[in-house]
Amino acid sequence: MNDEASPNSQPNANTGGRYVPMGGTVRIDCVINGEAMVIEAEVRRSLSDVVREEVGLTGTHLGCEHGVCGACTVLVDGRAVRSCLMLAVQANGSTIRTIEGLADGDTYHPVQAAMHDAHGFQCSFCAPGFLMTTVALLERTPNPSEAEIRAELSGNLCRCTGYQSIVDGVTRAVKLINASGNAGKGENNA
Amino acid sequence: MPDSNLPTQQTSGLGGFVGTSVRRVEDKRLLTGHGKFVADVQPEGCLHAAFLRSPYPHALIVSIDAKKARALSGVVTIVTGAHMEKLTNPFLPFATLPGLYTPLYYPLSAEKVRMVGDPVAIVVAVSRAVAEDALELIEVNYEQLPPVANIDQALTASSKPLWERAKSNLLFDHTDTFGDVDSVFTKADHVFTETFSCPRQSNQPMEPRGTLVEVDPKTGEITVRSATQSPHMLRWMIAAYTERQGVGRSVKRFAGDKKRRSRFLSGAKSFLAEKGEALKSTDNAGMIYQMKMDPSTMKHMSRTMTGVAGKERYVKVVADDIGGGFGAKGSVAREDIAVTAVAMALGRSVTWIEDRVENLMDGGQAREERMTLSIAADSDGTVRGLKVDLIIDQGAYPGAPVGAALTTRMMQVMQPGSYRFEAFQQRSRIVCTNKGKYVAYRGPWANETWARERMINVVARRLGLSQTDIRIKNMYTEQDFPAAMLTGPTLDVTMSTRKTLDRAIELAALPEFEKERQEAAAQGRCLGIGFACYHEAAPGPPNYWESINPGTSALLDQPSRATVDGDGRVTIFTTQMPHGQSHETTFAQIAADQLGVDIDDVKVVYGDTSKTPFEMLGTGGSRGGPVGGGAVRKVGRALRKELVNVAAEMLEASVDDIVITKGNIHVAGVPSRGLSFGQVAARSLAIHPSTSGDANPVAFDVRENYTSAGDGGWSVATHVCWVEVDLETGFVKIPRYLVVEDCGPIINPAIVDGQVRGGVAQGIGAVLYERVAYDDQANLQSTTYMDYLLPTAMEVPAIEIEHLETLSPGENDFRGVGEGGMIGAPAAIANAIDDALASRGVTITEQYLPPSRILELAGIIEPD
Repeated sequence: MNDEASPNSQPNANTGGRYVPMGGTVRIDCVINGEAMVIEAEVRRSLSDVVREEVGLTGTHLGCEHGVCGACTVLVDGRAVRSCLMLAVQANGSTIRTIEGLADGDTYHPVQAAMHDAHGFQCSFCAPGFLMTTVALLERTPNPSEAEIRAELSGNLCRCTGYQSIVDGVTRAVKLINASGNAGKGENNA
Repeated sequence: MPDSNLPTQQTSGLGGFVGTSVRRVEDKRLLTGHGKFVADVQPEGCLHAAFLRSPYPHALIVSIDAKKARALSGVVTIVTGAHMEKLTNPFLPFATLPGLYTPLYYPLSAEKVRMVGDPVAIVVAVSRAVAEDALELIEVNYEQLPPVANIDQALTASSKPLWERAKSNLLFDHTDTFGDVDSVFTKADHVFTETFSCPRQSNQPMEPRGTLVEVDPKTGEITVRSATQSPHMLRWMIAAYTERQGVGRSVKRFAGDKKRRSRFLSGAKSFLAEKGEALKSTDNAGMIYQMKMDPSTMKHMSRTMTGVAGKERYVKVVADDIGGGFGAKGSVAREDIAVTAVAMALGRSVTWIEDRVENLMDGGQAREERMTLSIAADSDGTVRGLKVDLIIDQGAYPGAPVGAALTTRMMQVMQPGSYRFEAFQQRSRIVCTNKGKYVAYRGPWANETWARERMINVVARRLGLSQTDIRIKNMYTEQDFPAAMLTGPTLDVTMSTRKTLDRAIELAALPEFEKERQEAAAQGRCLGIGFACYHEAAPGPPNYWESINPGTSALLDQPSRATVDGDGRVTIFTTQMPHGQSHETTFAQIAADQLGVDIDDVKVVYGDTSKTPFEMLGTGGSRGGPVGGGAVRKVGRALRKELVNVAAEMLEASVDDIVITKGNIHVAGVPSRGLSFGQVAARSLAIHPSTSGDANPVAFDVRENYTSAGDGGWSVATHVCWVEVDLETGFVKIPRYLVVEDCGPIINPAIVDGQVRGGVAQGIGAVLYERVAYDDQANLQSTTYMDYLLPTAMEVPAIEIEHLETLSPGENDFRGVGEGGMIGAPAAIANAIDDALASRGVTITEQYLPPSRILELAGIIEPD
């Protein structure tokens, strides 16, 4: 993302007509990846569009925009949600975590490290959604069975891998986290 | 906490990266949300495009009124079909066949729509939301025509032709015969016949299509960022289809530009000198037929070709991260040309990011084929002759450039499979219907394997043989080579299907399974097992492409480039276009081994047409490993030679005594007196000063052209699938799935396993979950992921993989593995279900087997 300003909020004078946002805009106070933010966004905009275009966090991907593929999964107050189905205004007052907030500088979050070790992903367009779903799962359920892992991941679609490497990555993440006694940097450590 | 950031190097010594599961270089950005997909780039002031699409499968456009939409605040422009015809040229045939009519069509439809989702107008606005608001304000008056919804309707003489010039909806009908089919079919003890069908499927990469046309406001230069598997092809197609200058002016401009003229002519001359012989086999009969059917083809071809030659400036195409493609993004989309043409006309940057509904309508569909197979066999199980009657439903628009035409050829050449048939005949027909366009989908010819492997099982059952015995009896063995397929391509030891079958039989523990099956049957449970075998050209012997389409092989060289800059850094430039295959890792492995450096010291550059060598195909056809990897190995080796020559002189040693370890170039046994790549680069620059004026000039610059070597290049596998069919629910469980594959030596086992499993998962989807559903009026029923079901982690089981690594006599021996999983899986799964239901008298002849269909076939519920 080269520019955080969207054409919505700053209509270009050359467009031949001033753009009036539909339904007006609304102020959203939230914390994203540990940073307090005030965002002015059109009422009708989804959380995913606002996170990508207003905040510039393009790691959250849009695969279907109708709540099936899970690529847009982010954590809102610790819960994995599909940001394409949530209006940004609904996130007012929330704490949001996205894929960009997982690693600590150059150090992977254990879930990322485990996926790297497991060759978890291929094209990786779906990876942000799977990673956020996994973080939410492991913060809630530190020792999931393979059946639980597969059930939890079934809300995320991957077209490349056949899932085995992703399931393997989650299993490795469980071991990594339990060996360190630390669920990464999550605030809601179980 | 364990160190989660181990260095990438994971081998004990250098020169050993190939063959190990080196972790992915790409992960650093892709696991942290810092990938750069086309939707992630939005230059300041970038406008957004959206397409108005037809809600009807077949209709005339009586009128379009965009007045209200144009008045909407935030709308910049609206272009409809008639206007688009002034901005662009129509899409032209790429692969022609004698007797094939290829319709010409523009980026937007102006007079007639031929499918649900057919684009009729493009809106450009300040945001996508506004563009979509505007779509709803455009009023289109359609006059509906009778739809053509399926193969049977298309073959009906009275069906309304989609394309008037074709006069019917049958666009191609051709028969080829190999060997004395009549005699074999007369003399064999039995002839068995069955008709198989496969419904429409869709590639469905998780990232939809998208193209951003970036116009530099200062220079007017245009950069097209696109999720494309073939950047150079897109660049040329944009040049061709957006060139509206008349032939005369183009020729004049070309003739008047001495520099351009001489560059073009010298390029053409050297290409012809090298490839003239190969090009001689090109068959022009297809193009002559096309010109006869549609004389305007000549006019448009002249304009695009002279336009391309006379063009002052081409666009630059850049592809960064791509979220999967599976063939669909190897197509040049009508939308790509429309968005580019409009951005050029406006002089403004415009982005178009497809949504999933559009992708399910117009992002590419595949594999809707019906095939009648007859096998002539003797009572002892020897299969002797094969006859196939193939019909492909290409939908409304042919995929560009690879569509049904090339697929009929690939299916025919591969149809006899790994078996010793004495004679073979294939009739191939292509029909058009009011459905989405037919594109290449991972192993585009794969239904030949599906139908053949099903038919082999049909014959086995009718003759009372096991599915493994009939395969053993008829399959080529190593002792048979060299041999040739009836359809032309040479077979050598790399066609080791039989070895994979033998190993699969061992691993499958068939006696134990039979016991288990009987125990299960006693409990009322229904188990089955299915085998499927294939070989695929990956890349195939040199005469493979000549068998498909004479002259094509001249276009399939793989150029590559390697440089070392003044600081000693190595860069590999590839024409391959990764979209999930991990080329940055595997190519770095290959180059690092050749050069004696760490893989982190090798940078792989791809996707930017201003940097990468020219080649049309990009990534596709399981060519990345064998041809792309072969090219990297060749250019790496050449670069090493140049480095060693300079170093030998500096060290006053013979080149034969020089070794490179960990980036240290030294005389064997004397590592302490070695040279770094930077020192050797500096010396080279001192001898041959750079004229580039770059701050950090290139010291070594090596270019090589790679043509895959050897007579083989086959990638093979045997798939075995175990199923349990629940006769209460119709649900099919897959308790075990085994792939024994042979793609030769493996560059990165974890990456190969990922390719195999991903392909099998798509095969599971094809049989049990996925179908592009149209009703009998050609209305699309599956426009969301609630209707088009992709398998999830709950539906795809763990998949066992066993690798054999047969070496070939060729110079480079990597063989492709990207498509195989998808080729073998539908046949193995269908054979397993057929086996499970055999005792109920069921013969599976359809590829799509959802629970309701299973219950119908098993006689538990009545068909609709």
